[in-house]
Amino acid sequence: MGITLDESKSKAVIGLEGAVDISSAAELKTLLLRALHGGKKVRVSLAGATDLDVTAVQLLWAAEREAGKAGVGFSFAGPAPAEVSAALGEAGLQQFMVPESKVSVDAG
Amino acid sequence: MSLTSKADQFKQAFREEGREVLVDLESALLELNDNRGDMELVGRVFRALHTMKGSGAMFGFEDLATFTHNLETAFDEVRNGRLPISSELIDLTLAALDQIRAMLEEGIAGAPVADLAACAEILAKVRHLTGKPEKHHDKAKTATPQAGSEVGTGTGSEAATGQVREWSIHFAPGPEFMLNGANPLLLLRELKQMGGLAVRASMAAVPPLNELDPERCYISWEMVLATAAERDAIRDVFIFVEDSCELTIEPFLSPAEESAQAASAAASAADLTAQALLDKREKRGGRRVYDTPDNASSLRVPAAKLDQFVDLVGELVTVQARLSEIAARCDDPEIAAVSEEVERLTSSLRDNSMNIRMMPIRATFEKFRRLVHDLARDLGKNVELTIEGADTELDKTVIDQLSDPLMHLIRNSMDHGIEPPAVRAERGKRLTATIHLSAKHSGASVLIAVSDDGGGINAEAVRNKAVERGLVAAGDELMESEIFALLFQPGFSTAKQVTDVSGRGVGMDVVRQRVDSLRGSIDVASKPGEGTSVTLRLPLTLAIIDGILVSIAEASFVLPLANILECIELTTADIERANGKHIADVRGEIVPYIRLREHFNIRTPRPEIEQIMIVSTEGGRYGFVVDRVLGNCQTVIKNLSRFYRHVKVVSGATILGDGTVALILDPERVAQDAVRAVAHGTRAGPSVAAIAAAVKYSLRGRSTPPQKTV
Repeated sequence: MGITLDESKSKAVIGLEGAVDISSAAELKTLLLRALHGGKKVRVSLAGATDLDVTAVQLLWAAEREAGKAGVGFSFAGPAPAEVSAALGEAGLQQFMVPESKVSVDAG
Repeated sequence: MSLTSKADQFKQAFREEGREVLVDLESALLELNDNRGDMELVGRVFRALHTMKGSGAMFGFEDLATFTHNLETAFDEVRNGRLPISSELIDLTLAALDQIRAMLEEGIAGAPVADLAACAEILAKVRHLTGKPEKHHDKAKTATPQAGSEVGTGTGSEAATGQVREWSIHFAPGPEFMLNGANPLLLLRELKQMGGLAVRASMAAVPPLNELDPERCYISWEMVLATAAERDAIRDVFIFVEDSCELTIEPFLSPAEESAQAASAAASAADLTAQALLDKREKRGGRRVYDTPDNASSLRVPAAKLDQFVDLVGELVTVQARLSEIAARCDDPEIAAVSEEVERLTSSLRDNSMNIRMMPIRATFEKFRRLVHDLARDLGKNVELTIEGADTELDKTVIDQLSDPLMHLIRNSMDHGIEPPAVRAERGKRLTATIHLSAKHSGASVLIAVSDDGGGINAEAVRNKAVERGLVAAGDELMESEIFALLFQPGFSTAKQVTDVSGRGVGMDVVRQRVDSLRGSIDVASKPGEGTSVTLRLPLTLAIIDGILVSIAEASFVLPLANILECIELTTADIERANGKHIADVRGEIVPYIRLREHFNIRTPRPEIEQIMIVSTEGGRYGFVVDRVLGNCQTVIKNLSRFYRHVKVVSGATILGDGTVALILDPERVAQDAVRAVAHGTRAGPSVAAIAAAVKYSLRGRSTPPQKTV
């Protein structure tokens, strides 16, 4: 489990590993804010996540909305693992985790 | 906070809630045993099992959830009238409850471990009763996700029977929802198991990222559930979280039905006030509870924190006594004013803190229903337990230590007191025997009694046994109360046969030791053929009491204020008038007095005028003669070390404002001791002065060094 933020010149990549839930929600929020603050394209990698709870989903959704308003690229790097997608699907949350968001404007 | 510690915290919270649910489940099962047609009780049992299952799964107690699920299925059958309540089902569920309890405590040091073989056996028997194959409470199998905001999921097994209806469900977690350890996704998963579920999540309430509280759930859900289950069953999914979420469950109306209803509603809308609408919603199953002011009306605080708090208050009381002492010496009005204010505040802080620890004895009493039920079955006797005064409150520390003695007393009554049904029939008694547990307040004490309508105690047999054991001499004249007191001697048992239940003579000794350690006393009353009643008299609190400080020569003593009726003078003339007899005339009434100076072997000349403290005891009113009465004092009770445990007349010690030590006397014991001394023709009581001198070394947790010793 864990959340990482890798910032390069052109983008900030947030990696989610293991169970991302309420216990790591505060950390995820901090990292999302920091990533958005840099003004670079933000990519979120869900490949290593085994579980996402509602706190993670709403943070990612809010970040995506924020990025859209600021004109910053925000995208998911690849789909979430099947198990995670399925669990989110049951709760009607899958639509909020579209792999490549339309707000992604920067190819870089 | 780390993930593990947070998860542990949630688990712990579930454990605490779970214990209460299990207590309720146990009492509902036992009541159901007596009232088998009561569907409300069946509902209570079902909901308790359902809560344990649902919440167990949510908090990571998978084994518990799976096991409980099978029992829940059985009670669902009962609810639906397909399975009758039988003794076997109740006994199986009670046995299962013990296993659930063990699973709940898993990982706690010293807790019993769930017996997997026993669990399997219980489930096999339950399945035999229900005629249903084992049903696993699997983590919901994941459905293929669909794009878009609405998700239709598979049908659950519970929807297989009865008429399927559609329900519209609105579910919005409240601010505290996630912090309580609940997980909305698991609740939705559980709903899905009830039938076909369409889900639409709404992000409308999610605030901008920087304003977002990361530990709060802002997402809400609108759902349509097609199920044969009733509204209550749907609500039961949310039973553990209903106080912290917004939930409405209403029959689903198609758009056409909705518009028709809207038209008719519009006609009468003008008549409906907002309140009426609210009432209507309540009646129809909606609720919005988390924002009511009652939500935070009680807190769950670990007992250890409370003990620490009370200890600190105790220290504060001691320091305040020093301050008062200094203020009295200084003769400075400003210091005196502050000291008085501190005294007033300390006093009310003390009362409040003591009050926090007071708990009703109900839970302790209720848990004996199970013991009586199980023992009655094992012993082949019919016994019912009646409870009186379950709301009587006493200090948590006292309650914690009451379980063992009460258990031994009940076991003893069941085994030795209550006759087998055949004997009862012969004696013309009701076949079902009664054990009555009662609690009531009496001054600063609480009286807890265990009574039975059994055969009573054969005083002669007890006496003979005591002679045989060499506890009393053959020719000793003993009062009935003294004979009964022998029952509580170590290793004393008149039972001809040692049974699994009792008879080894260990239990009654444990009762005595425990009651002694609580500074209580035991009274036994028994009539042959009619029954026995054992009454435990226990102090309400063990930490701080109000007392009157008195002195004899250089020694200080505290008498509990609750026992004191009044104080009168004893002059040489009074003594002469009574011809040297130890009796005082209190407004025409003769009250015997005990001269503590003599009783305690304090060998200094007595003053010209002494004081008699008139105290009330179980045995009547007595006067305790002391040299001087020094005044009121809030007394923080410090236990004496075990070296002094044989000194019954002293119930503890306390540190006074000037740092000296005062012994706290137990008026009941002093009076009993004096009466016994007179009866046996001796005068000398224990040398309390010698004890007092040693006490300074044995006080525990002293906050200030004594400046002067007794």
